[in-house]
Order: sequence, then structure tokens, then C-alpha cells
Amino acid sequence: MDQNQNIPTPASPDGRGDHQGKDVRRGRNDIIFISALLLILAIIGLGFFLFRKEGSSVTVEVGGQVYGEYSLSRDTVVDIATGDGELNRLVIRDGKAFVETATCPDGICVGHRPISRMGESIVCLPHQIVITVTDGVDEGPDIVV
Amino acid sequence: MKIKCLTILFVLCILSSCAPLSPNEKTLDKFSAYSFDYFDTVTTVSGYAESQEAFDEIANSVLADLGEYHRLFTIYHRFEGMENLCTINELANGVHRTVTVDRRIIDMLMYAKDMYEKTNGRVNIAMGSVLSIWHDYREMGMSDPASAELPPMDQLTAAAEHTDINCLVIDEESSTVTLTDPAMKLDVGAIAKGYAVEMVAQRLEEQGVTGFVLNVGGNVRTVGAKGNGEKWVVGIENPTDNEEKPYLAYLGLAGEALVTSGSYQRYYLVDGKRYHHIIDPDTLMPTEGFTSVSILTGSSADGDALSTALFCMSFEDGLALIESMPSTEAMWVFHDGREVTSSGFDTYRTK
Repeated sequence: MDQNQNIPTPASPDGRGDHQGKDVRRGRNDIIFISALLLILAIIGLGFFLFRKEGSSVTVEVGGQVYGEYSLSRDTVVDIATGDGELNRLVIRDGKAFVETATCPDGICVGHRPISRMGESIVCLPHQIVITVTDGVDEGPDIVV
Repeated sequence: MKIKCLTILFVLCILSSCAPLSPNEKTLDKFSAYSFDYFDTVTTVSGYAESQEAFDEIANSVLADLGEYHRLFTIYHRFEGMENLCTINELANGVHRTVTVDRRIIDMLMYAKDMYEKTNGRVNIAMGSVLSIWHDYREMGMSDPASAELPPMDQLTAAAEHTDINCLVIDEESSTVTLTDPAMKLDVGAIAKGYAVEMVAQRLEEQGVTGFVLNVGGNVRTVGAKGNGEKWVVGIENPTDNEEKPYLAYLGLAGEALVTSGSYQRYYLVDGKRYHHIIDPDTLMPTEGFTSVSILTGSSADGDALSTALFCMSFEDGLALIESMPSTEAMWVFHDGREVTSSGFDTYRTK
């Protein structure tokens, strides 16, 4: 459409100069418009970058109280001390969390497979520990039995 | 010009999708609460609510109710000024074998007797004297694994003499319970959890609550669908460590219950061999047929009782029982990893 208007038409004999003026103005407007567009897109992009999800993380709760939150994207070892010298060692490796060792009598938490999907959890009943994947990227089931 | 208009429209669309929803469009968020105080297991209450406060109000009432049922049904603790299953077991040994109890205990015991009939005696709450021996040996074995041992069979068979459910006499009218055999004990471990969860869930339904789910140690009861109207997705854990297949099945529930009993959930080791907590009423030993049994049905009380019953039955008998019950499905997992399901189980699968 714009291109068609750039071609002088014989139907307007004295309109050439006029057209040129409009073209300049339109050109400037286009530049402003495109710049504004780019700026808006850049802001949106920056917003997505700043508020992007930091991958998955696990929340550790002891006796119903939040003990800590740990990113699954960084390998780490957390010794969860529940008092009385009791200890559950939480290991985060390759984006998965598991309990490596524990002083609890049944060791069911140690036997639990590594968790990484949203909503998955490892429970240590004797020490009242719940380790849950929160802010997960990979959606798991709502409830696990 | 048209292109410009379209571009502006396009940008506006992107912007509006980024913008937060207007305040009059209420969104429901998911919240969860845990408790370790009831039925010797972990309780999870999850639900969709407009705010943390709105969720807490419901969750706290659920936990308070469960706490009440826990105190009434526990056989391990007694509480000041209240008769419960523990005091029934204690008083039955004395001269006054009749105990006046809360209506909720009467209802649960009557339900348990009914399930005894329906499962051909595979679920027997009168097995307390046998189960308490196993319980003591398991507790000892877990606290001191080096000296863990099995209960002597003669002790178990002697206790099994006192497991006749007909010796539990219930008087509905006067709300009393009598144990006519002073050596018998009640153990409602196979029923109480699922029954309590069902009672609490039904109360929520009466109040018009939806979008909640209760999970008490593997007894899952959904109350309505999720906040967005979709079904709750329940994953049945794969007992064998398998990264490729972490869940044996994904099931979509909206109002139903799913109960899983597993031989991997509560056990102790004697000479390297696992001995789990579900005891066969005939052999008086832990059942050997399955790794886990899951029941999908309307009531978590039925689910709890049936999952124990099926553990103590051959697969064929269990299948016949499940197929005879309406809207009740089951999944058996054998020790070699084989899974078998009842005829309508697959209709609940979500993927």
C-alpha cells in the first residue's frame, strides 16, 4: 500500500512535491513506530528474563515448619538436623533430590527414588520431614500414593 | 496503514496477556498442609482456595476432625476423660467388659463387622492379640536391627485363639461395646484411617466444599474436582526404583478415593528379609503374594478395608470380589513387577 503511494500518478499533476513531503514525514513516523515497537518488545523480553523460573527447587519442611529451599539446578548436600543428633542427608545431584543417609529406624526415605517432578515428595515419618518439589518445571501428578 | 493497525493490535494482545488479571476475576491457588500427628503416618490436605486464609480455615477444620477420629480410634494411647479403642481393649480384660463409647466408635465398629462379612473374614478387627505381638517385635527390630527377630509361632497361634469377631458385641441403642472374650483385642489399623478420611470428606461435601484432596498415609479421598474443574491426577508409585517409569498408573479422580497398601511401606528386617505389616489371618505371617494393591472406589473406608482384604487373598478370589462390587476397581502388583487390573480400571487412566 505504502509502496503504491510512492509512485507518482498522472492523475495528480501538481502533487509531486506534496507527496515527497508526506513521504519524509511518513518515513520518520515509521522509524519512530518501529523503534517504539522494538523498545516495547525489548522491555517484554527483559521482563521474561528477569522473572523467568529458576528451574525446579525442593522445599524441606520439618514438623510442618519450612527448614529450607534448595534449587535443583545446583548440586549440593544438605544435612537436615532435626535435633537429638538425628540427621537426614539430602543430596541434590543432576537436577534430582534424594536422601543419601538417615539416622531414622526404617530408612524408607533413603530407599525412596530421587525426585524431580513438581509435587513429588520424600517423607521421613520418624523425623517428620517432608521434602517436596516446588516451582517445578516438569509437571508430576497432583497426589502420589 | 492496515499493517500498522494490525501490528499495534498484535502488540496490545501480547501486552494484555502479560498483564495481571483484573481483580474481579478471582483465581484459585493451590495450597497444602501437612501433619504428622494422626494415625501414625503423614497427613496431607491440599486444596484450591482464593487465599491462604480461606484454605487454612478448611484445612484446619479437616485436621481438627482427623485429630478427633485419631484419638477415638487409636489403640496405642488413652486420653483423659474419653473412652477410645485403647480403653476398650484395656477394660475388656477387667470385670466390667462393657464400655460406653462415642457414637462414632459404634458406627466404625459396625462398619468393620460389615466388612468382615463382605471380605469373608479377611479383614478382622478382632485380630488385635496377634497383631500386637507383631507390632512389638517390629518396634523392637526397628530400634535395634541387630537383634531383630520373628515372633515365636506358638505365641502367635495361642493369640489367634482369641480372634473371634462374634465376641465383639455392639449395642447400638445404649452405645456400648462388650468384648465377651477377655483375651481378645481390637486392632482397627486396616480400617480406621480410611474410615476417618471418608467421614471427614463427607462432612466437607455436605458443606459444599470442592477442590480438596485428603491423603492420610496412602488413603486418598478427593472432594470434588480440582479448582479449575479438571480431575485430580493421582500417581501410583512404582515400588521398584525405575526412573523411566516412576508411576505405575496416572488416574483421574473427582470425588473418588484411591487407597494403596504396599508391603514396602511398613516393615522390618530379620536376617536381611523384609517382614511387612499386613498379616494373613490364616498363616499369621506377613502376606506374600503382592508388592502392592490399590483400590479405586467411592469411599476411602471401603478402599482401605478392601486393599487389606485383597492383600490377604489369592488374586483370583480378590478379582472375583472386586468384580462383584459396583464402581470398584483394583490394581495388583506382583513381586516380579507384573501389574494386573480389574475390568474397569483403565477407564480412570489419564495417560
